[in-house]
Amino acid sequence: MKSWRIVVVGLILALLSVDAWARIKLITLPVRERVEMQLTHPSATLVEEERIVPLVQGANQVDFSWRNSRVDPHSILFRLVEGEGVAARVLAVSYPPGENALVWDLWAEQAGTARVRIGYLIEGFEREYHYRATADHAEQQLRLQQFLRLRNQANEAFAEAHWKLGFGEPLQRSIGRDETRELLVAEYHEVPISKRYTADLARFGYLEAAQKKLRIPMHYVLQNDAAHGLGAAALPFGKARIFIEDGRGGSAFIGEDWGSFTPRDEEMALYLGVAQDIVVRRTIARNEAQRVNGNLFHYDVVIRYEVENFKEEAVVLDVVEEIRAVRQELGHASQRAIEWQLGSDTTLALPPDGERSGVERLVLRQPLPPRQGDTPPIKQVYTLHLHFRNEW
Amino acid sequence: MKISRRLLLLGLLAAPLVGAENLDLSTVPERQEVELTIYNAEDLTLVRERRMISFRKGINPLQFSWSNTLIDPTSVELRFGEQEGALRLLDTTFPHAKPQMLYWQVEADQALTAPVEISYFTSGIRWSADYVAIADVQEQQLDLESFVRIDNHSGEEYENAKVRLVVGEINLVEQIAALAQTPVGRVAELEAEHYRQLRQEAGRRAMVAPKPMMAEMALAAAPAVTQPKEVEKEGLGEYFIYTIEGSETIPDGWSKRLRSFSASEIPITTRYRYRQAEYGDQFVRLYLLTNDRESGLGTTPLPNGEIRILRRDATGGLVYLTQRTMQYVPIGDRLELNLGSDPEVLFDLVTQRVKRDEIWMQMSRPNLYQRVDDHSIQIDHQARVAGWEETTYFEQRIRNYSERPITVEIRRSFNGDVRFRSDFAATSHDYRTVEFTTQVAAGERKGIAYAVVISHGRNAKQQRVVTERK
Repeated sequence: MKSWRIVVVGLILALLSVDAWARIKLITLPVRERVEMQLTHPSATLVEEERIVPLVQGANQVDFSWRNSRVDPHSILFRLVEGEGVAARVLAVSYPPGENALVWDLWAEQAGTARVRIGYLIEGFEREYHYRATADHAEQQLRLQQFLRLRNQANEAFAEAHWKLGFGEPLQRSIGRDETRELLVAEYHEVPISKRYTADLARFGYLEAAQKKLRIPMHYVLQNDAAHGLGAAALPFGKARIFIEDGRGGSAFIGEDWGSFTPRDEEMALYLGVAQDIVVRRTIARNEAQRVNGNLFHYDVVIRYEVENFKEEAVVLDVVEEIRAVRQELGHASQRAIEWQLGSDTTLALPPDGERSGVERLVLRQPLPPRQGDTPPIKQVYTLHLHFRNEW
Repeated sequence: MKISRRLLLLGLLAAPLVGAENLDLSTVPERQEVELTIYNAEDLTLVRERRMISFRKGINPLQFSWSNTLIDPTSVELRFGEQEGALRLLDTTFPHAKPQMLYWQVEADQALTAPVEISYFTSGIRWSADYVAIADVQEQQLDLESFVRIDNHSGEEYENAKVRLVVGEINLVEQIAALAQTPVGRVAELEAEHYRQLRQEAGRRAMVAPKPMMAEMALAAAPAVTQPKEVEKEGLGEYFIYTIEGSETIPDGWSKRLRSFSASEIPITTRYRYRQAEYGDQFVRLYLLTNDRESGLGTTPLPNGEIRILRRDATGGLVYLTQRTMQYVPIGDRLELNLGSDPEVLFDLVTQRVKRDEIWMQMSRPNLYQRVDDHSIQIDHQARVAGWEETTYFEQRIRNYSERPITVEIRRSFNGDVRFRSDFAATSHDYRTVEFTTQVAAGERKGIAYAVVISHGRNAKQQRVVTERK
């Protein structure tokens, strides 16, 4: 059963005005010449379809109905494509009761055909993006494929529709009713990535709390910018399935994660799991209060990290401290943001990451040497010295 | 098709209306002309209809009924126009057993045929405005089409009606739809006359000096319409009346949408704003335009209604931007169309550093306060912090990935005794809000740094924000 149609009622019956609705009609059925589906809006789907409508000279009625389809009746637009066919104009639009339909009253200067564009918002097109990320064997580069999965619950089929996503070229595909279609919308090769190991107690907690051993997650980090082969548009939210080339022509699945919406020039971090070969024990080595006067104090705090890298290659560890969480851990009373400084007893090698650090968050990076041969790794000890000022 | 409302000229000419007879004879004068004045602020339509009636000399009973409609029985009025002197309304009777009916007794000085005008309020007919705005590819100009849509759910079909639409607020003391359901017998309890007068008064404010109805009562066949109907707009006191050209037939249950006006190539300005009080915690893009003649508008206020905003793309297609409820825009006023956030322009507010200074201690000795950095201060373990300055260093980061330079307007509000320090010009929007404007070139990443100093405790002397240029 066709749920959707546009019909044109000729001159004579059109003169009968609304009474013509219930009478015997002779109709023509202009087919869709072209359909564009706009997915640039985050939630709305705009359809624009072109049809060639035969018109008699004088009054015409164009009946547009969308039985069982999820068209927003208030959004329907009727545009004549100028220069293609006879000149015509819309006189009025009528909406019959109890039906998903409308009637355009048109006036044509002469008999002939007119190319019209009918636009409307339609509900029921669920869309989700997802990714397939395949890392090379050395975990230096990714092949990133971006897919769009469209689920058509709009109760209407669209043949050879031109899908506009807001980036890239339109895709021409058909989609049937209740059909789900998956489209490869972009593919990026040799995207440089970094593998990140993170020590962040506030966010990831302990692996073994009694031993103060931190959970160290691993992420592939890709930068959505031109320097990394991306950056043409924001990367939408979606699930990423992650594979790694096995060096023998195949690949292995190593997990999946939700890729967050990533604007241009920002990074997408894909969680891989907990690192078993990087061990970090975090303790508070010093917590000294210096009374300024009365209830006003400065605090001197040293956080100690014992780090072992059991891997045979060097890695870089991100050390992250949430300042408010540290103060809560130490029992400092105030919940206000306070002034703090890095102290001279800090031994972490690299300075704070300015992009990722702020008044409430400190991110430092520490290169870790590889384990040598069969010997156990050398336990490295690093310290972070924080000086909190004027706290009460 | 159901014609539920009838005016009967009763054949039992001088018969008393009480103690009704079993045998009855009536004639049915047809409705000759009808005019609808529809209000958009209330569920209210004033209907004025004319019928031609032959009267005999003496008492003439008339029956008017409106079964299955939404007419307010207290509002029904009978007038005789030019025959006011020859015809007199003696009384009106609402029969107990027939809730949607009344009888009039009209006395005629002589036998004559005359037009009568019947007016009443009904609910169930509404009109609303809606708009379609399409920006050009460069977002420099806008095409705006305005429509009026009339929905008839009154239970009655009005054929070939003159339609007038009223823009503006009116006051009603009761809803017409509720009164339409009220038994006539209770109307008197509800001080019907008082309400009737109020409603009639409200209605007449917008319907004074209506266009004269046709002298010839028979309607000529409607000519073929070849152009979209004109919707004539005229101001009337605090109201605006839209009169639709010619006549319209809107069957019960149907809706009709007509173009009210259109304007092309309206100049627009694009602005980006961060104003938490107005738009929440989001950075929004707006099209700004003015309802004036320079912009190709300005002939009528823009009634409140839904507006759908689209933009042309390079291939002639449309890009859907958003849909908003637009409030009434007077002539000469500015129209701001909020398009929501723009994925091509990113906005971040970063807190870079915080510090506290100018710290005052309340010493254990009564009424003694000392500044911490005063070298003469004594250590007092019982002292408490009593006042301080808290300075927060912010950076507003804006990344413009669009292909055009943009203008950004930022407002930030603060509570307390606040100084806003910047190396750029900032002004006070109100006592607690600072505003400033900046330009961001296409492709530029811009950081706007400033500091906010808030005095706390005994240091706070005022409740206001002052701007300081560094």
